[in-house]
Amino acid sequence: MTVAAGVGYVLIALGPALSLFASVIAKKPFLILTLLSSTLFWLISLIILAGAWRAFLPVKSTELWPYSILILTSVGFQEGIRIGFWRLFKKMEDMLNAFADRVSKPRLFLTDKMLLALAGGLGHGLAHAVFFCLSLLTPAFGPATFYVDKCPSIPFFLISAIIALGFVIIHTFSMVIAFNGYTEGKRKDQIFVPFAHLIAALITLINLVPGGCNIGLPLLCIMAGTTLYYSWQLVWRRLTEHQTTRSSD
Amino acid sequence: MDDRSADSDPVTAGESSILDTLGEDVIRIVSPVSLCMVLVVLLVSSLSSTNDLSSSISSLFLSSTTTPTSFSSLNLLLLGSDSTWEEIKSALVTALSFVVVVTLLTFLLVLLFYFRCTNFLRIYMGISSLFVLSFLGGFISLLLISHLKIPIDPFTFAILLFNLSVVGVFAVFMPKFPISMNQGYLVAIGVLTAYWFTMLPEWTTWALLIAMSLYDLAAVLLPIGPLRLLVELAMSRNEEIPALVYEARPVDPQPGDRVRVWRERTDVRIEATENSTNSANVQTVQETRLAVSEEITAPLIEAFPQTGDRHLGTEEEEDGIGLGSSGAIKLGLGDFIFYSVLVGRAAMYDYMTVYACYLAIMAGLGVTLLLLAVYRKALPALPVSIMLGVVFYLLTRVLLEVFVVQCSSNLLMF
Repeated sequence: MTVAAGVGYVLIALGPALSLFASVIAKKPFLILTLLSSTLFWLISLIILAGAWRAFLPVKSTELWPYSILILTSVGFQEGIRIGFWRLFKKMEDMLNAFADRVSKPRLFLTDKMLLALAGGLGHGLAHAVFFCLSLLTPAFGPATFYVDKCPSIPFFLISAIIALGFVIIHTFSMVIAFNGYTEGKRKDQIFVPFAHLIAALITLINLVPGGCNIGLPLLCIMAGTTLYYSWQLVWRRLTEHQTTRSSD
Repeated sequence: MDDRSADSDPVTAGESSILDTLGEDVIRIVSPVSLCMVLVVLLVSSLSSTNDLSSSISSLFLSSTTTPTSFSSLNLLLLGSDSTWEEIKSALVTALSFVVVVTLLTFLLVLLFYFRCTNFLRIYMGISSLFVLSFLGGFISLLLISHLKIPIDPFTFAILLFNLSVVGVFAVFMPKFPISMNQGYLVAIGVLTAYWFTMLPEWTTWALLIAMSLYDLAAVLLPIGPLRLLVELAMSRNEEIPALVYEARPVDPQPGDRVRVWRERTDVRIEATENSTNSANVQTVQETRLAVSEEITAPLIEAFPQTGDRHLGTEEEEDGIGLGSSGAIKLGLGDFIFYSVLVGRAAMYDYMTVYACYLAIMAGLGVTLLLLAVYRKALPALPVSIMLGVVFYLLTRVLLEVFVVQCSSNLLMF
């Protein structure tokens, strides 16, 4: 529906990501590099998943179970990859600290580590938005629009843009929660992340039911809000604890 | 515990973290490459909707004056769309003949450089840049004007084109020009040349990319490779090779940073001038022995030029990656062009391949920079990125697209 609508959909999906990028990440070049590498990792994990599932696609049935297996395996694989990502992050942290010692600069601050986690999460979210929403948005720049059978009330592009928005937020902040959880060793945080991801992905299964997207979309936004709130509480607690321990030295 | 404990508050300590400045020179080379790719993708997607007849006539017009590509284009036009096997055969022939021509011309360049005909080379390159900016730029502007229906009269157009081309030639070759104009015009030359290359037929483009990356690998790393000879010649004479090279703006040295040095086997020297990359005059070099400790992350290579004749046999660009006189990273314009050709060709299929190939090329560039920091000699920048780009293009087209479309059309996302 014309260039204006296409740009609008892009901004719906990527608005918060772009503002995060411009305000936080663009200022530090290393975070941009972290973002690019984490986007690449997510893409590689997606390609591996697509390769594993290629033989079974296209799924012709309208039953629920093939899609739920798809979702379960995909989310499980990605959460497994997240642990690997965290190991890489620890190694990088050690290298950065060694480098900081060599050039006699201070080691990584707590806020630095959280910024790195944020950049990593934003890379994942960006990759999701780009591959699941933006790459399919090309017809939206033309003169017409498209409706899916199961959801005749909202244009397809708008639904995918809103879902992408929800997932950008979920991916970004669950990376912050996950890294903090693995660093501190708190089970609650470590369990929360795969749980939230799985629930969000299962919510999109509701979209398979005719008219389900009217319920699925708000639920997904609630899930994204929950992740945001949890991450906010976690970071707040961590920073205040850190302040008090430092001032008590 | 001193102030520099792991968790000190940056605001009260008043010190900046290493995260503030690390990786800045890499970003300064990643941004123009990304910009070039974005512009080529925009050009390709806005101009590809011109009807087939006009675009094929235009490619016929251009290709009739070039030896390597005329064969396949004329062949395709005269015989209509061939079977895939015919296309592959003609693509291989074209790519092979192109590589042979480039090799011969690079050896010619080495010969000319050996006999110190540097003025001839500079004038030649100036004329070829003028050609690219005026003819190619004019042609592509005409396509854009007719496509976007911009109202402009021929006289204004001629004056603008003349001005922009002449200033472009000066910006690229005069040593004291403002660096942003220099960089901007280099990116513009890269965009124009890359767009022209995307007008080749599909199989030919892919065969050409793979052939050029293999040639780059051979020419730089083999002992008889022309580029290696050129680099060693330039190093032994302390001269800059006249070539089109993008040099990133040097990073301001922070207090406490080591000075980046230019290392050549045994001696350590620092160039006196800042922006001079393309002057053929021998630079006044201060041979200073500095007691400097290990460099940081900057790759330490000489200016690494490769002059490959790209189109119409009139242009020389550089390939490969190296360290400039002021310590900034240098990337040859040929690399810009071939990265953008790959992404532009991916754009002709779908945007998903564009994103995947962009990420692959950035990954390849990162790997090349890492290898540069480890090996400390001239390295080709094409092979890793192009190979990764081709692999990701194939994987996306075969595997990813079906998967993503299947999931998204059912509104199933994770």
